[in-house]
Amino acid sequence: MSEEKTTPIDPITGKKIKEISEEVDLNEYNEEEVKSKDINGDGLNGDSLITEPTLIQKLSSVPDNLIMAAKSAWIGRERGLAVFAGVFLASLVITTVVAYGVGLSQAFLQFSLEEEIFDVKMDFSEDPGDNVTGRTNDSVQWESVCDELANMEEFSDCGLVFGRQGVRVDGFFDQDFIIPQPLNVANATGITGDWGNVSWAYPEASNSGPPINDGRILRFYGEGIWDGEFAERHSKRLIYGSWPSSADAEANRSVVLPSQIASAAGVSINDTIDILTFTYVTDYLSFEDSVAGRTLENCAGEEVVEQSGFSFCRVEMTVTNLKVSAVYKEGGAGNPTLLFNPVMISESVLNDSQRLILMDNDHGYLGLTVDRNLLPTTSTADATEWLEELKKDVEGQNYTNSGISVEYNDLISGTITFLNIFLGIIQVFDYVLMIPIVILSFSVLIYGLVLSLEQRKKEISIQRVIGGTEKTLSRIVLLELIVISMFAWFFGYIIAMLATPDLVAAVGFMEFDRDSEFRVNPVLGIVTIIFIIVVTVGVSWLIGRSRTKEFLSIEIDEGVRKVAKVKEQRTWLHLLVFVIGLLAALESFIQSNNSDSDGLVGNFIFDALLLLFGPFMLWIGGALILGRIGAAGPRILGLILGWTAALKDIKRGLRGSGSSESVNRLAVVMILTLSVVTLAAIQGVTGSLVDERTASAQVGADMQVQFDSPVTEEVARAEMMLAIDRVGSQEISNISAMTSVGDIFTSPSGEGALIRTWVLFDDHEKTLIWDNQAIPGDDQDTVIDLWSTGGFTVGEEALDVLDLERKNSLARNGFPDLVMGGGRTIEYTEYSFGGISEDFTPIIIETVTETDIEFIGVHEWVPGLGGTEAAQSIVIGESAYRELVGDDNADNYESNRWFFEFCDETDNNCAEALRNLNVEITNGEGVSSADDWSNAHKEVENSGGLIFGTPGLLSLQFLVAALASVASAFVFLSLVLSQRKKELAIFQAIGASPNQVVRIVLFEIMSIIVVSMVLGIALGIALAQAFSGLFGIFSYIFQIFLGTSTPIDRNLVWPWGRVILVNIMVFVAVIAALLFTTRRALKSDLAVVLKGE
Amino acid sequence: MDKPEILSANGLYHIYESKAEDGNVVALRGLHVKVYEGEAVAVVGPSGSGKSTLLKSLGGLMKPSAGLVSLSGRRITRLTGSELVELRQQTVSFIFQDANLLSHLNALDNVAQPLRHQGVLPHIARQKAQTLLDKLGMGDRAKGKPEQLSGGEQQRVAIARALITNPRLILADEPTGALDPITSREVLELFARLHKEEDVAFLLVTHNREVASFCDRSLELRDGRFVAQHGTDVDIGNLSDTRELIIDDTGTVTLPPDILLNIGGPGRFELPEIDRDLLRMERVNEDKIDVGVKTELTLSKTCPACFHDYGDSDDQLCPDCGSSRPMIQI
Repeated sequence: MSEEKTTPIDPITGKKIKEISEEVDLNEYNEEEVKSKDINGDGLNGDSLITEPTLIQKLSSVPDNLIMAAKSAWIGRERGLAVFAGVFLASLVITTVVAYGVGLSQAFLQFSLEEEIFDVKMDFSEDPGDNVTGRTNDSVQWESVCDELANMEEFSDCGLVFGRQGVRVDGFFDQDFIIPQPLNVANATGITGDWGNVSWAYPEASNSGPPINDGRILRFYGEGIWDGEFAERHSKRLIYGSWPSSADAEANRSVVLPSQIASAAGVSINDTIDILTFTYVTDYLSFEDSVAGRTLENCAGEEVVEQSGFSFCRVEMTVTNLKVSAVYKEGGAGNPTLLFNPVMISESVLNDSQRLILMDNDHGYLGLTVDRNLLPTTSTADATEWLEELKKDVEGQNYTNSGISVEYNDLISGTITFLNIFLGIIQVFDYVLMIPIVILSFSVLIYGLVLSLEQRKKEISIQRVIGGTEKTLSRIVLLELIVISMFAWFFGYIIAMLATPDLVAAVGFMEFDRDSEFRVNPVLGIVTIIFIIVVTVGVSWLIGRSRTKEFLSIEIDEGVRKVAKVKEQRTWLHLLVFVIGLLAALESFIQSNNSDSDGLVGNFIFDALLLLFGPFMLWIGGALILGRIGAAGPRILGLILGWTAALKDIKRGLRGSGSSESVNRLAVVMILTLSVVTLAAIQGVTGSLVDERTASAQVGADMQVQFDSPVTEEVARAEMMLAIDRVGSQEISNISAMTSVGDIFTSPSGEGALIRTWVLFDDHEKTLIWDNQAIPGDDQDTVIDLWSTGGFTVGEEALDVLDLERKNSLARNGFPDLVMGGGRTIEYTEYSFGGISEDFTPIIIETVTETDIEFIGVHEWVPGLGGTEAAQSIVIGESAYRELVGDDNADNYESNRWFFEFCDETDNNCAEALRNLNVEITNGEGVSSADDWSNAHKEVENSGGLIFGTPGLLSLQFLVAALASVASAFVFLSLVLSQRKKELAIFQAIGASPNQVVRIVLFEIMSIIVVSMVLGIALGIALAQAFSGLFGIFSYIFQIFLGTSTPIDRNLVWPWGRVILVNIMVFVAVIAALLFTTRRALKSDLAVVLKGE
Repeated sequence: MDKPEILSANGLYHIYESKAEDGNVVALRGLHVKVYEGEAVAVVGPSGSGKSTLLKSLGGLMKPSAGLVSLSGRRITRLTGSELVELRQQTVSFIFQDANLLSHLNALDNVAQPLRHQGVLPHIARQKAQTLLDKLGMGDRAKGKPEQLSGGEQQRVAIARALITNPRLILADEPTGALDPITSREVLELFARLHKEEDVAFLLVTHNREVASFCDRSLELRDGRFVAQHGTDVDIGNLSDTRELIIDDTGTVTLPPDILLNIGGPGRFELPEIDRDLLRMERVNEDKIDVGVKTELTLSKTCPACFHDYGDSDDQLCPDCGSSRPMIQI
């Protein structure tokens, strides 16, 4: 430093004039300098440092970079929280929905396989005919193919069956699928049992599948079926007796009957059937041929035309002296290839010639079971693939010495095909439901990212100063982002995988107990996992990249343009979106409250589009527009509360607050999340209720039993008690209440028109499950009271008959005491036999009684009775009934329909007991059928329930949205407050007390939160209304594909409890975040905060 | 041996956009400066004179509104963003009043960070950083996080970080401003050593007399322009004693306020004597009469901030609190 001070210096340049001695080439100098300089003496010169590293070197630095990013993520975890929350939620939701789909398909697959006893129907590959190779008519030889197949590990059992003819098609929609016919039972006789009472028609078979055959079918089982795996599978369905071994079956000439047949015939185990006649098919004629006038030639039997239009030549054959070994409960329709619920007889009762005839006519096939432990249940696609391989294997070979070639009819994959159609619809709906949550997650992510970038301003400017380029900087930011995202994805993934089995179980419509035999183990394929990573981490990266780029370019341009351009908000667009959304909500509201109205939009397509997209537009547009109001919360509440003492001294501090963008974002996120919480709560609760109400309307009580003939209450009670004893369940040991609905015909006084009149006996409400929608008005107690005191209700179509108008009803007029002109007198005519007159004609005595009844209003339905009949009927109470028929008749009332109340039908134990009781009572004497609430509810949820309920997914949505709202409240608050650190410090510096600062912050944030909460709930309510329209569209689709519907209007229920609970949770989170951050902000050194830029 | 310029700026203007009533703020107005290889230059001046803007513009952290800046012989005003960063990486390093360390990295990684921005492999960068920290006596603190280091240690780390790229020039903004006198002396000694041993050029913005005297010369910045130069004996408290007024290439000269006051305020001047290396100015006669009759501005007797009594001194800055001394009307 001690240069010569005397050196003359150029005053402008500062150059020491004396030292100018030689010109040095600048470039050369620099180059040399850079190359040779090594200030540290570590042997590393500048050149080697800046050399471009090789790819391997670059890769070797990746772990190091990742560790650095992870460290930085951990240090900056506060800012990373929002990003974490966003990716975590997205990952959680997407993984759950996908895993839910997989789990559902697994569960459905296992469930439907449970229904199937046969996995494979093995036929000859060639049609029967002259000079056909690969066939045999020797049943012993055919059966011996089983021995060869048994060597394959894929098959666990095999046996010969005489039944349906060979099926040689590739799919369900081939007409060759409906041509092969089963063996049908024609009639049976026996000493025991009333066989004349048995109907061998079985129309359910054609109703549940293709129109193949609508008679009761018959199968002869060879010894392979009586033993082994087949025996196990059959045994599961038995309700009486046991599955005989092949030896027993042969010795006893066993027959196993479906419960309907056994019940109708009144036979039980060890009863005998003397002669059983059945028919086989020798020839057929197509529909076109029949129309063309051709007939079956040489038909030795009867020509029968099936529903499909094909004619078949059916020839009779008999077997004799059979003994009932077991009775099984009929299952639902499974795969139609084998048709449903046969009478099963040991093949040994056939003689050789009979066997030959059946073989000749293609009625012999092999039944096989697949070792289901080997069948992949991970997904339906995997199962299908495995089965296709097996089919190829089996069909690729010839069997026995005579080279039999086979057609492999796979029953499992057929089931899967049906399943996939069904599951496809469900999943589309699930995805639609989850869209809001995914959008929500990503909006949390975006806002979190923006805020976190703003927080890193200082760090980024330091990095720039020490030589960070846009490339290296965005790499640092994005690497950190990816590390956070990967962690978030992983956590979301793990939690989703853990939660899915419970979720699938919670969905209700399959009711898988955790300890049941259905193991739901949703494993996602690697492709799916990668897809989810790409969607979550990838989106985070994409958003991060664009935001970072934008941010960095602004930062780098800083010097040139100090005033950053404020992005113009697209208010008009937001408003337009919001208004269209509101329109959808309004449309849905109008349509749900007035079913006759077309709503605002007449055109069907536009209407559907509006209802499909409107809800989402309402949600996003609403949040953006209302967010501004939410952000203005301090001003709004300031105006309202401004005069109070609490705010007086901090009023000046509040001025201008609430205008910053981050506050606006806080409000938008709060509104987004809270509205989804409200939506999910409302729709979830509404859906479950609709399902329950549908079941209640269908069954009417815990159980409805139909008797063959009218019985008195005592008889019905005794029969039910017997069934209860047989079940022996702890849950149901007695009848809590029972009732019937009387059914008589009356006419308006002096007129001839007969009106169906249903009678509600006193205390019917203890048994019947009434619905507010069924009765006039919405006060069940009042209406039930009025019925018992001489009031009546009228079905829609019976109004005219009685000359009544709705406006005269008591319900319309708020149940006043005075009579409104709806009073009517009805009469009942009783006919009795009064002996024989002189001209030998019977004397009929007509006794006409009258009663006055008062018009309560219009009913929609009566629980357990059909809605269409209810529309033409009137409903009166017991007192009016007694006046009409007299006490004697009333006391000895007989009905073939009785309703029972046992326990709380929504309870799981009760539901199970109800199902067991149903089986028993159905087999009771004189009982024709029984419906229980539990089965009905299950069925409702099974088919329509996905649409009307979807409780599982909606509860997931509710949970996730609640989680998101609490998390985002916390995260955003922390971020907003730490951004305002400086402002708070200034307040303190200019003399505000810590108390005042806390009050300013509390008031400001709280008012934003409170206003946003109110707006969020309001938006949620509108959203729930709009989503009802969306559900309506889907239920329409479901009706088309699955044919389900409900009489229940989807009236929204408001579960305020849940909504308020979540809001309280958000409030608590907010207060926690406030205390945490404000305290820290107040504690920090004022000078440091104020000095830092 | 004369040395080439490491840094030169010509006619540098910088204007900040502002929405204030009187329009944009001009931070630099036609500034010229040259710094040679291995030279240490101090910039002194009151706050608001544009020092930070100057450093940013010279260091290529932002583009000036107008004017030319050359770093190591290359004109940076025409370079693209990435070229500029590359040039900066090879030429310049910055040191600030606050160490401005990256809080999530330890000392070692902080020092290594500039090399990593250049794509150097992590272990090589760390190795070099460690050597450098050892050299600065910070080797055993290499694993410390910034918040665990004292102010002096932080500043050493910042210096190590500035040196790791082998810069030709270090731009420092009040490098000792946040340090106690003893530590700042140590830092200065370090600077002196680097200056001597490594031949690094320095451009320091400072209020500190010791810092200024470490430099070969000091430039006085006022209203966005260098008005005068001082030697190593510069007295920050009293610039008027060592001041050498600068007349730049465009012939512009700016009088510091104290000189303006001494000559009796603004007005018109005759030039009765113009010669090589000499200029004499005399106020125009009719103007002379006016001055002193209408207005008389004198330096305030007391400091308005801390009430320090200036007495007879001509100080421009309060020795107690550093506020600039206002002019008052009598």
